[in-house]
Amino acid sequence: MSMKFKTWLKTITFYEILVGMMATMRHLVNYKPITLQYPHEKRTLPDSYRGMLALLRYDDGTEKCVGCDLCEAACPSRVIRVVSSEVPGEPTKRFAKEYYMDMTRCLFCGLCVDACPVDALGMTREYEWAVYDKRDLHLNKQQLLAIGDRSYPVREKRLEFQHPNVAFFNVAFKSLPPKES
Amino acid sequence: MAELALRMAFSLTQIVVVMGVIMLTIMVLTLAERKVLGWMQDRMGPMEVGPYGILQPVADGLKLFFKEDIVPAGANKFLFTLAPILALVPALIGFAVVPFGPDSTIELFGVQFKPFIISDINIGILYILAFTSIGAYGIILGGWASNSKYSLLGGLRAAAQVISYELNVGLAIVGVLLLSGSLSLVKITQAQAGGFWHWFIVGVPPDGWFPVHTQIFAFVVYVISAVAETNRVPFDLPEAESELVAGFFTEYSGMRFAFFFIAEYGNMILVSCIAAALFLGGWNAPYPGTALARMGFAQFAWIENVVWFAAKVYFFLFLFFWLRATLPRLRYDQLMRFGWKVMLPIALGNILVTAIAAYLFPRS
Repeated sequence: MSMKFKTWLKTITFYEILVGMMATMRHLVNYKPITLQYPHEKRTLPDSYRGMLALLRYDDGTEKCVGCDLCEAACPSRVIRVVSSEVPGEPTKRFAKEYYMDMTRCLFCGLCVDACPVDALGMTREYEWAVYDKRDLHLNKQQLLAIGDRSYPVREKRLEFQHPNVAFFNVAFKSLPPKES
Repeated sequence: MAELALRMAFSLTQIVVVMGVIMLTIMVLTLAERKVLGWMQDRMGPMEVGPYGILQPVADGLKLFFKEDIVPAGANKFLFTLAPILALVPALIGFAVVPFGPDSTIELFGVQFKPFIISDINIGILYILAFTSIGAYGIILGGWASNSKYSLLGGLRAAAQVISYELNVGLAIVGVLLLSGSLSLVKITQAQAGGFWHWFIVGVPPDGWFPVHTQIFAFVVYVISAVAETNRVPFDLPEAESELVAGFFTEYSGMRFAFFFIAEYGNMILVSCIAAALFLGGWNAPYPGTALARMGFAQFAWIENVVWFAAKVYFFLFLFFWLRATLPRLRYDQLMRFGWKVMLPIALGNILVTAIAAYLFPRS
């Protein structure tokens, strides 16, 4: 009975509504916005941020990509299309003659970067890639290399003792940090 | 003839001033609502246009003014055009009988004028109720004429809701009318002069006995029904954006949309003015007389009165924002049940009690 009376009293005095209104009022009085004024101020990105994908080069300006297609195989969204080809005059060496990424489908999982045996792919910290034409997100090799050039100013050193005719993955050298599997 | 011309010129000036103040208030309100809502939700509100976003209403107005005016295919063009006007005019016309300040007269060129009220007609509150009822037609016709299912549903909801809650508004103010013995907002306000204990919301000894003469129940019924009548959260079912896109004005764009928008805010100000005048003593200060008059500036006492009126109105307007930031929307059956089974009996009971009390112990 007393419980019922209490409920009734709460109903007629709008107790719950008043509690809610006090909550909103408390936020108004202790006003502390959690939003950022985005174009003017940007949040600090975490170190492991996975942004726009890019193709990388060695320090002498040659492309790292050996056209092995492993990124294409690893990609769950079929973003990547690689047209592999022999290096002219060097039958044991291959490179990506064409390399396309359809970034409209990319979900930025980073599996292609993990899959790459020569670390030719990297994830940049770029995320402002809104475009007016969807087709502008279909990137070719030149565009991806350009993204890599502007996002990775420090390039990996090309190993000089590598025999020019041997297909060679520079992952097992002690001078380089081991790849996370 | 000269007197008539003078009176017309004075009335026109008053109308222009009042409309200007109302439009300015609406502009301020659109920004204030977004700001207050933002602050209550730990956001900033509009920040882009001007310092701290204070020019946002200007930008919004310009945008709406230059937007394409679209009439949907299959819409009834005549009613589609008429509906925003039908919604806007009643929202603004009610201010004609609202007393913004003391009932003093000034003499200009040998003619007496009342500066703080456009027209003191003796059926003031009835006039406002009648015109707000016409405002419902604007919403219903706008919903119907748009040839869209969302608009139609919004219009239907608005019809049922506005009619059922208008009834409660009308019944809630009857208690005040019984006590003051007048329908004129000026007389009602004057009956509450001399301190907050004379306000109709209180009802203590010099004017009556607390539980029977107080109009606090009528006040609560009035405020809740006023929120419902202006289609505001938590009673915003006619324009429920998560269900009906935008309800009755889904298909409206440009200035026609702006008309509905101005009408909504104008109605908010109007019901706030009525609530302040009927229950909270209108332009009367909560203490007897005015502080300025007591300090010897009797000719400037009207400033204090107008400020008190504005303060009361803005309190209600803030209440509208506050409720919107706090409460979720009611379900439709809850809305109807609340209106007919809760608000209506309380309002009727209030009339009964107040009528008996006013008969047995009339206010001096």
